[in-house]
Amino acid sequence: MTALVPLTGLLAAVAASVAGLAPAPTAAVPGAVPLSAEYTLPFVGPGTYLIFGIVLAPVYAMVAAWFIGDPSDRFAGLLGVGYLAGLTTVLWGSLFVATIIIGTVFF
Amino acid sequence: MSVDVTGVDRDTLVRPIKTFSNRYVAALAVALGLIGVWLFFYSQQLRNGLIVTNLADWGSGGGVPWGLYIGAFIWWVGIAHGGIILSAAVRLLGMDTYQPVARLAELLTIAALTCAGIFILIHVGRPDRLVTSVLPAWPTRVQWSPLMWDVTVITAYFVLTATYLALTIRYDVNRLRDRLPNRLEPLYAALTVGYTETEDEVVERMVWWIAFAIIIMAPLLLHGGVIPWLFSLLPSMAGWHGGVQGPSFLSIALTSAVSGIIIIAAAFRHAYGWEELIPRAVFQGLAKWLGFFSLIFLWLQLQQVITGIFAAPTTLQHATEVKISTPLYWVAIGLVVLAMLYAFATALRPDLFDIRALVGISVGVLIGTLTEKVLFVVEGLQHAHFALYDGVPGQYVPSPVEISAVLGTVGIVVLFFLVVSKVIPVVELHAIEEHEEVDA
Repeated sequence: MTALVPLTGLLAAVAASVAGLAPAPTAAVPGAVPLSAEYTLPFVGPGTYLIFGIVLAPVYAMVAAWFIGDPSDRFAGLLGVGYLAGLTTVLWGSLFVATIIIGTVFF
Repeated sequence: MSVDVTGVDRDTLVRPIKTFSNRYVAALAVALGLIGVWLFFYSQQLRNGLIVTNLADWGSGGGVPWGLYIGAFIWWVGIAHGGIILSAAVRLLGMDTYQPVARLAELLTIAALTCAGIFILIHVGRPDRLVTSVLPAWPTRVQWSPLMWDVTVITAYFVLTATYLALTIRYDVNRLRDRLPNRLEPLYAALTVGYTETEDEVVERMVWWIAFAIIIMAPLLLHGGVIPWLFSLLPSMAGWHGGVQGPSFLSIALTSAVSGIIIIAAAFRHAYGWEELIPRAVFQGLAKWLGFFSLIFLWLQLQQVITGIFAAPTTLQHATEVKISTPLYWVAIGLVVLAMLYAFATALRPDLFDIRALVGISVGVLIGTLTEKVLFVVEGLQHAHFALYDGVPGQYVPSPVEISAVLGTVGIVVLFFLVVSKVIPVVELHAIEEHEEVDA
């Protein structure tokens, strides 16, 4: 029976907090197991790790391979990087220009 | 294994650039007509706001602010995926059978991604909001918002695909320059800037690495990642939530993408007499892939239906019951089942195979996948965990404005291919070079 005390305390605390009756489970129920702390990542939000750490990782490997390994060529590598940077700029730059035009013509 | 292209020469390759027919003008007129219809309706949306679409707010369509626009966005991104994945597979896995359609597939990716972007652009209401709202918020919100992840990765994907095309086209333009129109010389000069034949080996290795990046990023992290995360990370929508959405979205994307490639390749084959350049074997191979992806699509639908109705949480059970009692859902599933059965039947009995029938089946698959995606978006919103919008009047039905946008984007893709095929070779020179070398 003693072994069940933490469990019943936890259940009671969760039920009470769901009902909005108890703000702090550990304080409300003596002997309750504290809920684990919310999982957080250091410095920045999860999206930064997810997008720039995982999703774009193949792109980093690709750009590195353009300059490292054989055969590679500095001009061709820079041309590739130029395309990546240039196309990104053209894509969002043209939207920016369109925004300026919309602002000038309509507002 | 590669297909037999004996008898195909370089003049055949540039035939779309050299010829101009009444059929071309008719296709151009149809494409411009579709775009014109959409622009007419879109001007109404710009004048009056999103209220003309029933997507303006929670109150105008039974609590559904996302509908056909977002369904079509997912659909176009899905079509975009298969294109470049097929091309990357040719390079990485040596699937030379599909080399004659590899560039058509790359071009389809660029056109389809553009259409996906258009749906986001028109769905934010004022088009300048992408710059005035999204860009300033990006540095902080990319940490938390799946919408910002989506914008980031779609941009990266578009840029990677365009870079892939820009690098591979240098080889072809240089060697086919004497067969290309002189009036476009400034463009060709820009495309081949700094080109020397010694770069071929280096560039081939660079595009191998782009293919490597794409074949990991696009299926696993974009259409099996960031796009489904727009929905599956929201626990408040029972029909959207859950990890199965990643593989499910990917299966739908690959099914629609193969269908898109079949239609485009068949159109070029028919229009330019390319029976030798894009042989029947290419379509038979694509049909098998269509059958396989359809099977995976159906298997993942089965997974969702079974887990949704057998002892599921109440709201998920309700959402699933609504889904399987919607006749349109079964129409969508039926169209994909038909494709699967046709693909497997023709694999067993090749004499049943017919390219026109395959094109018809592919059109059906595209209608089916668009329907499934729109239902997914709309029903997911209608049957949320909360009952806040239960009293909202009305029921979402796609408006003429939204339907015209789907037609308009189809017109844009057709126009894109009509224009690009007059400027660059839409089949890689590599597709016939092996044969040329043997002859020499």
